Amino acid sequence: VANTHHSPDDHDHGIAHVAPVKVLLGTWGALMVLTVVTVLATKVDFGSSINLAIAMAIAVIKATLVILFFMHLAYDKLFHSVMVGGGLLAAGLFIAISLMDSGQYQQNLIWNPAAPPAAPYGPRPLPQ
Amino acid sequence: MSTSHEHHGHGPDDGHGHGHGSPFIQHHYDDAKHQFDSGKLGVWFFLVQEILFFSALFVAYVLYRHHRPEIFAYAHHYLDTQMGAINTAVLIISSLTAAWSVRCAQLGQRKGLILTLSITILCAFGFLGVKYVEYSHKIHEHILFGSKFDPCIASAGNPLLNKGNECPGTKSSVIWDKTAAKPLAGCMEGDLDHDARKPGIQGQCKVAEVKVSGTGEAKKELGRRDLPPCQEPAASEHGDHGGHHGPANPPCFQIVTNPHVCPKGAAAMVLYGDHEVRGSEIEIAASCEPVPAVTPPTTDPFAEPVVAVTPGEAAIAPRHVPTKHELDLEFSKGPPPEHTNMFFSIYFAMTGLHGIHVVAGILVYIWLLIRAIKGHFTPQYFGPVDYAALYWHLVDLIWIFLFPLLYLIH
Repeated sequence: VANTHHSPDDHDHGIAHVAPVKVLLGTWGALMVLTVVTVLATKVDFGSSINLAIAMAIAVIKATLVILFFMHLAYDKLFHSVMVGGGLLAAGLFIAISLMDSGQYQQNLIWNPAAPPAAPYGPRPLPQ
Repeated sequence: MSTSHEHHGHGPDDGHGHGHGSPFIQHHYDDAKHQFDSGKLGVWFFLVQEILFFSALFVAYVLYRHHRPEIFAYAHHYLDTQMGAINTAVLIISSLTAAWSVRCAQLGQRKGLILTLSITILCAFGFLGVKYVEYSHKIHEHILFGSKFDPCIASAGNPLLNKGNECPGTKSSVIWDKTAAKPLAGCMEGDLDHDARKPGIQGQCKVAEVKVSGTGEAKKELGRRDLPPCQEPAASEHGDHGGHHGPANPPCFQIVTNPHVCPKGAAAMVLYGDHEVRGSEIEIAASCEPVPAVTPPTTDPFAEPVVAVTPGEAAIAPRHVPTKHELDLEFSKGPPPEHTNMFFSIYFAMTGLHGIHVVAGILVYIWLLIRAIKGHFTPQYFGPVDYAALYWHLVDLIWIFLFPLLYLIH
């Protein structure tokens, strides 16, 4: 059969890269450790924005590990990396630009007519 | 189709695929690698689309969290971090077995492939099982999305006044004015001191005055808008109420104690004619005098301690400044801040869409398992295993972000 031609850790499979067991287990171990770290980091008060930054940084590291090793992108074609990078860039722009824009219409929104929002979000005075 | 059993490699340097070509290598591809690469490109396009698909929900999350941080600070206490952490671990384990299944398929290890695919499926079911426990708890306590958000408990776990009056047990007999969204009359077991931020009734109360007027069918039946108080105490069995009150059986209201609903005698129930009605049939306007809270004895932890000041020393007594944790705890004991339902709309949309992806993953992996048992996958043909694993890793990837964003808000 075919695998007699390949040693178990032969990385050059011919069709695609074969992930070595060490890489798989190492990635898995790192992901588990980082999960524990992110749960523990929440229990310490660094201030809400720093806690959020830590949690997001750990999530980004975990996501990078999954993409590079479990999804083989580290050994894959460059074009696939460009696609993923482009997708993430588009998603990032989507979030960032929405966030920049979101305060823009507050002055036109009145959630409760009985209690209009205070300045600077109050209704814009009508032109005289 | 029969020709596809033969090899299709044309390149002189094509070092594989000739002698043992898979029957699943389609004839319109040059060789196995060509088919694999084409499929993989398609899967990556799909995954990029999935990232953009989910990013819309992340936009909703980021915007609401940016504008209403207090909602997220309050509502995340409703979520069980332990459950979320277990599910994270389960998904990471399944990601390992999914990645390993690709390796097994590439190396032609059929037993290993069947084992890793099976573990992946089991983990996916485990994930859904934990989600089932979480969702059913939320349904039970009315911690739902949009207008269905009417929690029976505060995020710290203590009972709350609930509009729908449908909480499990007999915690609340509060009659709600649904349009004004405030309680009219009723009672509540347990400690409600923290409900002070909500308009209306504060905890246990004695009903001082009730004004009743009918709407809809009840209005026709009543014939007039205001009810007089009943002349006699209501009979214990309101079914035979009319029999004791003469032929006219005049509609009237009576403040009663319903031992089933409100054991401490603070409920406002209305009896008129010979049957009992509630807020949906008649409008009840009741004022309610709060039962004064029993002030604890003088051991007030926040009282300024009396410090004997010796001359020459600084006369500033140390004060207890509540820590952020204590403030957070107090906040989470109270009723949810306004628009907390938005958190759960986002929570259910994100975890629900993710859960649908898990279900789809289970179906794909069952299909792969059947094919693996049939022995379809060879070192020349393992594309489906690889593509499914890529998809499964993306599902894991999204959960890697959902877990800290929803469960680990500080």
